[in-house]
Amino acid sequence: MGPILEVANLTKRFGGLTAVSRLDFELREGEILGLIGPNGAGKTTTFNIIAGVYGADEGEVRFAGESISGLAPHQIARRGIMRTFQHNRPFGGMPVLDNVMVGAHTRFSRNPFSGKASREERQQRQRAEGLIDFVGLAGLRDADVGTLSFGQGRLLEIARALAGEPRAILFDEPAAGLTPAELDRLAGIVRGIAGRGIAVLLIEHDMRFLLPLAGRVVVLNFGARIAEGTPQEVRSQRAVMDAYLGDAAAL
Amino acid sequence: MQDFFELSLSAAASGCIYGLVALAYLLMIRPTGIINFAVGEWAMLGAFGGFLLLTKFEWPYPVGMAVVVALMLAVGWGTERLAVRPLMEKRAPLLAPILALLGMLVIFREAISVSFPPDPHPVPYAFEIQHQKYFIIAVSALVFAGFWFFFEKTLWGRSFEAVSLNRRAAALMGINLSRVTALSFAGGAGAAGLAGLLVSPNVSAHYLMGVPLAIQGFTALVIGGVGRVEGALLGGMLLAFAEQLTTRYAPIPSGYAQGVPLLFLMIFLLVRPTGLLRARAA
Amino acid sequence: MRLAAWLGAFAVLAALPFFLGSYHNDVYRKLLLWITLALGYNFLFGICGQVAFSHFAFYGIGAYSVVILLFQVGLPLPLAITLGVVICVALALAVAIPATRLEGFYLALVTLALAQLFIVVLNEGGAVTGGTGGIAGYRLPAVFGWRIAGPAYTVVIVFLMLATLALLLRLDGSWFGRACRAVRDNPEAAAAMGVDVARTKVIVFTLTSALAGVAGMVYAFVDNTVNPPIFGLDNAFLILFMVIVGGAGRHAGAVIGAILLFLLPFWLSPLVGHHHQLVFGLFVLAAILFQPKGLIGLWDRFSR
Repeated sequence: MGPILEVANLTKRFGGLTAVSRLDFELREGEILGLIGPNGAGKTTTFNIIAGVYGADEGEVRFAGESISGLAPHQIARRGIMRTFQHNRPFGGMPVLDNVMVGAHTRFSRNPFSGKASREERQQRQRAEGLIDFVGLAGLRDADVGTLSFGQGRLLEIARALAGEPRAILFDEPAAGLTPAELDRLAGIVRGIAGRGIAVLLIEHDMRFLLPLAGRVVVLNFGARIAEGTPQEVRSQRAVMDAYLGDAAAL
Repeated sequence: MQDFFELSLSAAASGCIYGLVALAYLLMIRPTGIINFAVGEWAMLGAFGGFLLLTKFEWPYPVGMAVVVALMLAVGWGTERLAVRPLMEKRAPLLAPILALLGMLVIFREAISVSFPPDPHPVPYAFEIQHQKYFIIAVSALVFAGFWFFFEKTLWGRSFEAVSLNRRAAALMGINLSRVTALSFAGGAGAAGLAGLLVSPNVSAHYLMGVPLAIQGFTALVIGGVGRVEGALLGGMLLAFAEQLTTRYAPIPSGYAQGVPLLFLMIFLLVRPTGLLRARAA
Repeated sequence: MRLAAWLGAFAVLAALPFFLGSYHNDVYRKLLLWITLALGYNFLFGICGQVAFSHFAFYGIGAYSVVILLFQVGLPLPLAITLGVVICVALALAVAIPATRLEGFYLALVTLALAQLFIVVLNEGGAVTGGTGGIAGYRLPAVFGWRIAGPAYTVVIVFLMLATLALLLRLDGSWFGRACRAVRDNPEAAAAMGVDVARTKVIVFTLTSALAGVAGMVYAFVDNTVNPPIFGLDNAFLILFMVIVGGAGRHAGAVIGAILLFLLPFWLSPLVGHHHQLVFGLFVLAAILFQPKGLIGLWDRFSR
């Protein structure tokens, strides 16, 4: 499986602080890659650079062989990378189904008045309903997003991102705030997504959730990669244990 | 040279008025993010208060002025209580109180329009007509100095700043958010009402005087930047000087002078929306 | 809506003016124009979440443009209309493109300034704009030898209103309408989903401003007079109030709000004279405090 997303020599500074330093890693098709590290390690910054929220100072991000450095978030989505938000960001003025359909925005053809548009509308609606079932929100299709629980809102984030038919999906701490039962379901969904051939990049703090799930893990500390490999390999490395010093329970 | 001095004096006085209105906006925007266009109508209320107490009831100027300001503080507090607090408590989006205040703007204006005949109402000068400009500058200087001191040096002022920077953190630190909000509205109404009272001897109190003042005040705010009290005054001054100089020396019909603040507003918004002065860093 | 329903609606609304006296015809025409404006504004404000105060200014720009181009410049009607639309589009783009780069409320402020500036330009426009008195006493040129006037002209307005409604409904039901709502509800998430937020805002602002301009052109021949007070800020606020009270985000809300706030002064004048603005302000305050979904929200609640 070749790499679909490559991060090369990525560097980002905020004023005098180097948040990410010469970071290299790749995400391969159909794999679940975890990006972990203690607080302030640069995971979120890296995530945001890939997602186009801000640009890197040095280095490059490549997707499917093409550079996506400097692209705006909406352009990145159009290339086939979708993301979720750590603090759920639903579209409050629309029911659940419409929320999911916004995720499919890039799949519609340009002209909203054509006959093709009406057909696409129907097709995407069916797809969206399928996705709602897949994540486990069946029956809530017409619900007001305000009535969803936190966990359900998280599932909505995922359905919405999937609606874009992405080739890679970025999860921003998806486990945060979920109950154990919800975590199980989430793990199942993530596996299902990877099973469909979509590459998954997961930033996560919760090691008990991540380590059984990820095929590979990249460990950051102080903005640099300090370890890479399978969860088992990485877990016992000295550098990683040092990084998590004081946070041993996390490992 | 004399001419230029006269012009500068006029501009300085106008600049103070605009600065006071800008200050009113600033006081409310900083802790809450709410842009309250009703400040123009508050200025109008101050002017009409001046008319009632000073012209109609013929109270002595200092007393009348103090009572008008006190009443305006109450109006500001009342407006916050009625149109803002319920929405903040319901965690409505920021747009909601802004729109509610637009409704209040119309209510204030129409309430005055209903209660008084439509002609302009005279408001007396503090001293004589030729001294009014000095009076305006002096009073404004005092007000700005007072607020500057309040924000820089006092504990209450600093808690105000804290709320401006991060509402949630401030609340967690024990600062009473609704009290800060209520005070900010009271202060805003006071500043705006004062501006109305000070400017009205020259233009008379009229129920339509609110919106132009609101726009001029807002332009001053945009020019000066929302971050600092001094910015409001600076913005007001720059705007007033630009207006006066354009009217005096530029070869365009005088009616277009009204367009100067509007053009400035549009240009600044599009080119430098954060204003000239930056906010103090945390 | 099915084509039959549209045609039926058109037939009924277009037939009505032939049964109304000239006074009621005038009220009906103005009501239709207000509904048209409210529908457009609802799309901009209620559906796309953009606060702007220039909607009515574009109405005026359209009206003045067509009058000036027809009678001062002497252009033939089709050219005057086309050029008028071009002017509205160009101005809207000039305002929207820079403004949408910034925080939402900057558009509101720029458009507020624009609206005021428009009035200043009208007042000072001398011979071109007719100054404070405006321009009056003209008539719609003959179209294919036919002078459209009276109830026949009202039919034109009915067509305008229904065409506007049809266009907006179609847009709303497509991916574009969803994108607009996404921009309204959460621009950051919308961008992450692939919505070009700035472009969407510019398109919506330009489109609705152009629609307002076209409505203005139609309006110019209703009273056969255009003057500055008609296009002042009061009416800009009124449009906003109509949409809020009726129910922002819903086409039916815009229609109800427009009908209510337009007809209210007629019913209220025995009570409050021309201070109906006070009632509007109170309605808006009440709507925002107690029923942000507007009257249409109330209707929904009761029809459940």
